[in-house]
Amino acid sequence: MSADPITPVLTKRWLSPQSWRLSTYEKLEGYTAIRKALAGTPEQLVQLVKDAGLRGRGGAGFPAGVKWSFMPPNEDKPHYLVINADEGEPGTCKDIPLMMADPHSLIEGCVIAAYAMRSHHCFIYVRGEALHCIRRLNAAVREAYEAGYLGKNILGSGFDLDITVHAGAGAYICGEETALLDSLEGRRGQPRLKPPFPAAAGLYAAPTTVNNVETIASVPFIVNGGADWFRQMGSEKSPGPKIFSISGHVERPGQYEAPLGTTLRELLELCGGMKDGIPLKFWTPGGSSTPLFTAEHLDVPLDFEGAAEAGSMLGTTAVQVFNETVSVPWAVMKWTQFYEHESCGKCTPCREGTYWLAQILERMVAGRGTEEDIDTLLDVCDNILGRSFCALGDGAVSPITSGIKYFRDEFLALCEDNRAKQELVGAQA
Amino acid sequence: MFDALKGFGVTFSNMFKKVATEEYPEIGAPAAPRYHGRHQLNRHPDGLEKCVGCELCAWACPADAIFVEGGDNTEEERYSPGERYGKDYQINYLRCIGCGLCVEACPTRSLTMINFYELADDNRQDLIYTKEDLLAPLLPGMEQPPHPMRLGDNEQDYYVNGPELARDRGVPSGETVETSEEKAMQ
Amino acid sequence: MTMAPEEPKVEVPEGYVKLTIDGEEVIAPKGELLIRTAERLGTVIPRFCDHPLLDPAGACRQCLVEVEMNGRPMPKPQASCTMTVADGMVVKTQRTSPVADKAQQGVMELLLINHPLDCPICDKGGECPLQNQAMAHGRADSRFRDTKRTFPKPLPISTQVLLDRERCVLCQRCTRFSDQIAGDPFIDLLERGAHQQIGTAETAEIYDAASHTASGKPFQSYFSGNTIQICPVGALTSAQYRFRSRPFDLVSSPSVCEHCSSGCAERTDFRRGKVMRKLAGEDPEVNEEWICDKGRFAFRYATAAQRLRTPLVRNAETGELEEASWTQALAAAADGLAKARDGKGVGVLPGGRLTLEDAYAYSKFARLALRTNDIDYRARAHSAEELDFLASRVVGTTPETGVTFTALEHAPLVLCVAFEPEEEAPAVFLRLRKGARKRRTKVVHIGQWTTPAVSKTFGELLACVPGGEASAVEGIAQHAPDLDEALRAEGAVVLVGERAAEVPGLFSALHRLSERTGARLAWIPRRAGERGAIEVGALPTLLPGGRSVEDAAARSEVEQVWGLEAGALPGTPGRDVTGMLNALVTRDLDGLLVGGVDPADLPDPALARKALAAASFVVSLEMLPSEVTEHADVVLPIAPVDEKAGSFLNWEGRRREFSITLEGTGALPDCRVLDTLGVEMDADLFTQTPAAAAGDLARLAPKPTGSAAAPDVPNGHVPKAGDGQAVLATWRQLIDEGTLQIDEPHLAGTARPVVARMSKASAAGLGRRVTVSTERGSVTLPLEVADLPDGVVWLPANSPGSKVRATLGAGHGAVVTIAAGGDQ
Repeated sequence: MSADPITPVLTKRWLSPQSWRLSTYEKLEGYTAIRKALAGTPEQLVQLVKDAGLRGRGGAGFPAGVKWSFMPPNEDKPHYLVINADEGEPGTCKDIPLMMADPHSLIEGCVIAAYAMRSHHCFIYVRGEALHCIRRLNAAVREAYEAGYLGKNILGSGFDLDITVHAGAGAYICGEETALLDSLEGRRGQPRLKPPFPAAAGLYAAPTTVNNVETIASVPFIVNGGADWFRQMGSEKSPGPKIFSISGHVERPGQYEAPLGTTLRELLELCGGMKDGIPLKFWTPGGSSTPLFTAEHLDVPLDFEGAAEAGSMLGTTAVQVFNETVSVPWAVMKWTQFYEHESCGKCTPCREGTYWLAQILERMVAGRGTEEDIDTLLDVCDNILGRSFCALGDGAVSPITSGIKYFRDEFLALCEDNRAKQELVGAQA
Repeated sequence: MFDALKGFGVTFSNMFKKVATEEYPEIGAPAAPRYHGRHQLNRHPDGLEKCVGCELCAWACPADAIFVEGGDNTEEERYSPGERYGKDYQINYLRCIGCGLCVEACPTRSLTMINFYELADDNRQDLIYTKEDLLAPLLPGMEQPPHPMRLGDNEQDYYVNGPELARDRGVPSGETVETSEEKAMQ
Repeated sequence: MTMAPEEPKVEVPEGYVKLTIDGEEVIAPKGELLIRTAERLGTVIPRFCDHPLLDPAGACRQCLVEVEMNGRPMPKPQASCTMTVADGMVVKTQRTSPVADKAQQGVMELLLINHPLDCPICDKGGECPLQNQAMAHGRADSRFRDTKRTFPKPLPISTQVLLDRERCVLCQRCTRFSDQIAGDPFIDLLERGAHQQIGTAETAEIYDAASHTASGKPFQSYFSGNTIQICPVGALTSAQYRFRSRPFDLVSSPSVCEHCSSGCAERTDFRRGKVMRKLAGEDPEVNEEWICDKGRFAFRYATAAQRLRTPLVRNAETGELEEASWTQALAAAADGLAKARDGKGVGVLPGGRLTLEDAYAYSKFARLALRTNDIDYRARAHSAEELDFLASRVVGTTPETGVTFTALEHAPLVLCVAFEPEEEAPAVFLRLRKGARKRRTKVVHIGQWTTPAVSKTFGELLACVPGGEASAVEGIAQHAPDLDEALRAEGAVVLVGERAAEVPGLFSALHRLSERTGARLAWIPRRAGERGAIEVGALPTLLPGGRSVEDAAARSEVEQVWGLEAGALPGTPGRDVTGMLNALVTRDLDGLLVGGVDPADLPDPALARKALAAASFVVSLEMLPSEVTEHADVVLPIAPVDEKAGSFLNWEGRRREFSITLEGTGALPDCRVLDTLGVEMDADLFTQTPAAAAGDLARLAPKPTGSAAAPDVPNGHVPKAGDGQAVLATWRQLIDEGTLQIDEPHLAGTARPVVARMSKASAAGLGRRVTVSTERGSVTLPLEVADLPDGVVWLPANSPGSKVRATLGAGHGAVVTIAAGGDQ
């Protein structure tokens, strides 16, 4: 790791004037990787990405090169590349700024990835609420077509690629890759049964790879810099730079690019420390679906292994920082309300479970909870975790279980009043 | 000798005891308050029937004495709160053994037993009691169904707030519709 | 030398895998779902969304089990309804795994938090999978103290299906059935999360005509009743059965559907001598687990107020029918029939809805008591060509030798000619769709327009002018070489419907096509009794078992079995229906024995009326009064199918036996009435009971003489319409004004809209309504544009406001006059 913790790779163009323009991009070594990539073979590219150890930036951290290699080598059916830009995880705000500031890096990445997977049609599924982003992406795609980076026979290589920017309709579940595919096909956005996996039968039942924006945007840099350069950053198993979205009670919230494995202590230094000096109480390492961390986790290295070892997940590296003024049950209730609202309804545990959890938490926060409710919460969480159809249910329970794990006292305090009242009622009966 | 006196003694001592003989039917003999007598189909405080025609009583009946058929309430013709009412209700007292399992099965406390026990007749047909025979009398504040729900917008109001509704309709407290006596029938 | 007994090593056959479930080793076919393998072992894993005939969904998560693969336990419990068996898998169900048991209990508790506590008034109560499984795998008490989600209820989504969204567990069985099996995706999920619900596209005006029912609600499917049956809770209930009874009141009896020639297995539930409902029975060879709404809901004709329950005899003085005792009525009937027989003779019209046994009684009665071959069951359009076709290609075929449902599903190609599967034999339609969906069966229809059945079987339409089907079939070799090639493939099937009898030369053309290409040919009639009637010889040219009346050896065989003197059976073919009617009008025939035939079904209803009026003596065996009753001298009431035993022969030639459902009603089957009538006329039929009739028939094993000549009729003229004219295409819709559908308002509400259809060019200038007329009468209907050939108009044959035979006296292929019908 270099001495300077800030390694602007993905974000290096963000502060340039009109960074989203093709001309700016080309000036700053844009569309150079594409030429190198198209000169090689798809197999070479897949191997390169495997060697670089690039892991998916959408939350699960699946090695991107391995995922690409699942695509069948023949072209009996059209292959599709789908970019998951349906960024909806609470706290996560890395893809939209990336697409706003540097859309061409995504497009260049798409061309390279599509070439590596023998795909001739790429869909970018953007969250519907991000209208400004969709406009900018559309403009960038238009520019790329005009400059010959997209369309037929790209840069004379004989490779064809079309990119379609698709606006979602604002459902969190459509960030789940198979629900995204259903939504893209014009169906109801609900996760599909796996197998078949997208690489076998994805979009329109054809081989499909779904990748996160940041993953694909990293690809041109790998092609240009090589696997070894990429591995200089981050840790052995989680190499590369990563955009950390820091929000909450810090002095300067925003996007901070740092190598994987950076700790929150280091990140806090970058963003000016805790706001007004009020001490840290809890934080999420990767959005609300990852179990909470507390001040004792300040030195946990934020890479896939480090976060998992400490009992959470890296997720989307959406670091939400909360200081001591925040009530944990209240924050957990707000998150749970989000999951209740966003549960797609397909499977019972998530649909009914989040509905129930939200009601219990609302009742507790309103001061009408009992100690038994805490046990009920944990048991319901246990009945959802690992029982739901997709990961949404798992994500929904992690703030609750981790919240109760670290801050049970706060939950108990809410029930304290009620215990006295309940006993009275009992005595009367 | 002594034995004879002893015998007369018993007779004599009984002459001044209270007699156990009941002058029935001239004077009548009220049964115990919780005697398993004839059934009654109760009403909500506004007169709507409590029976929802669920047939659980018929299912519970070990003697197969009960026949029920449900019907569909409409806005124009409503007999009970909610969707369903007992369209046809018959109890065959030739079969009934008075066990009360039907009362236990009833989910709406529509079916209860009153202590009326004069269930004898000279033909079989008349011992099959129909809904008209079994329905509880209309108490003050009640009106004869069909009529719309008077106590709330839906059946939940009836089931959740039953006792308060009863008070509001002028049913004296402590006296529920289920305990109404046979007298009220006349 | 002694050897230690070795563990018997179980060989795993090819295509099978070995796994362990709850410590028990089991061999299962590859691809089988865990939940079924466990079920074979006797472990029932609770489930809601799983259904063996629907694609797996994995939505309810009730069937979670613990799975170990290659020695490594999977981190989460797995849904056994979506996971297929694999070699070496170790599965622990709720019986041995506390984790699986807890997972199942947890899901059950979650399902119940929003489920209303209205089991006492719910029609599913008592037969409810949720109730049963909550008892078996649920907690005794609830921890839910908060507010349940509520919806207004019930919501009618069609006239026959009511939706209660509170009770719904969102297993998606109904939506998957409608989408996958029926192809009518008119219901789907709406909203999301806890507010997710089943709903219809009430506002979506996709095809106004195609998707709206009379009530404006668009769940219009001929198969919607199946969703009620497969709903694992009481969310979808039947309007017809609403609050009628509880499962524990009902006595269930297996039965067979009497409506079409598919012979679907059904379950009839009755209470105190009254049929309460019919459900689909299970028969993987025939209807799998599905039936159409007509089969499910149309049964109240048997309890109609006007049903005939006592014999009637016409008072010679007053001319009125009067109630009479059976003895009187039978004596009068025997007397009159004998007189007519000894005069010019008696014709027999048994109709196409009889059981095999009843039809046999008619056939035998005609030959023995009436000494005639003048018997023809075909109460519809018919032709001599059809008679040859039936004798040469249809009679005697069985599932072993002929086309079957399974063969349709597995066929590479099915060609439907003059046959509308969804309207005429819905079970056939479902199989065609299944084949097309699962096995890529190519379905080609020779018809007039892209009907829903064409699109739902992913089919191809070869459109032709009505009456031009024969030329179209002849032209396949020349104009559709790819189809001709496909017909030569192993297993290819050609299906032809009853409408073919109206197209001269079509049967001959199909016979030649089948001979040329080797494609198998099957005839699918519309009525349940048709195949049986052919087999027992209720035709002017056939004796029982496909024996020709003209074949002396066959005749003598029958004479022997029937104990007749040699030469007792008439050796000349009798008259067909039209022949008999004409003969009655011309007084060449005196009497008529009718078995529930509606004159309006006959090719020329006016002729039928004239014939009935002219007949000197008419005996009618029927259940409901009809036009025949008005002319009958003796009316003998007979039993509906629920009140008798018997069997139908379905279009495959498969015997569909059923026993009596409602006993002791006193209603008599036709065979018994005819037997007694025979005794009165000194003829012993030995058909006192259906069983006796079947036994008697069994002595005449099917023996098609084989010499029956295949039809060879030249193609008729392809009808041509002049100015202001059109060629009429017409067939019946499944739900229409059929007599067996009376008293069923809920069913009638889901009938397809009654509209006329024409091509865009032909419809130009006619406005919104069209009047179709002949010299007999006219029909005016809303006009819809469809992809018919120009100069063709399509009308539903027997729907409200469109009774083609009765009003126009015309049929398929007739030339009719077209005029604007005015806007209404």
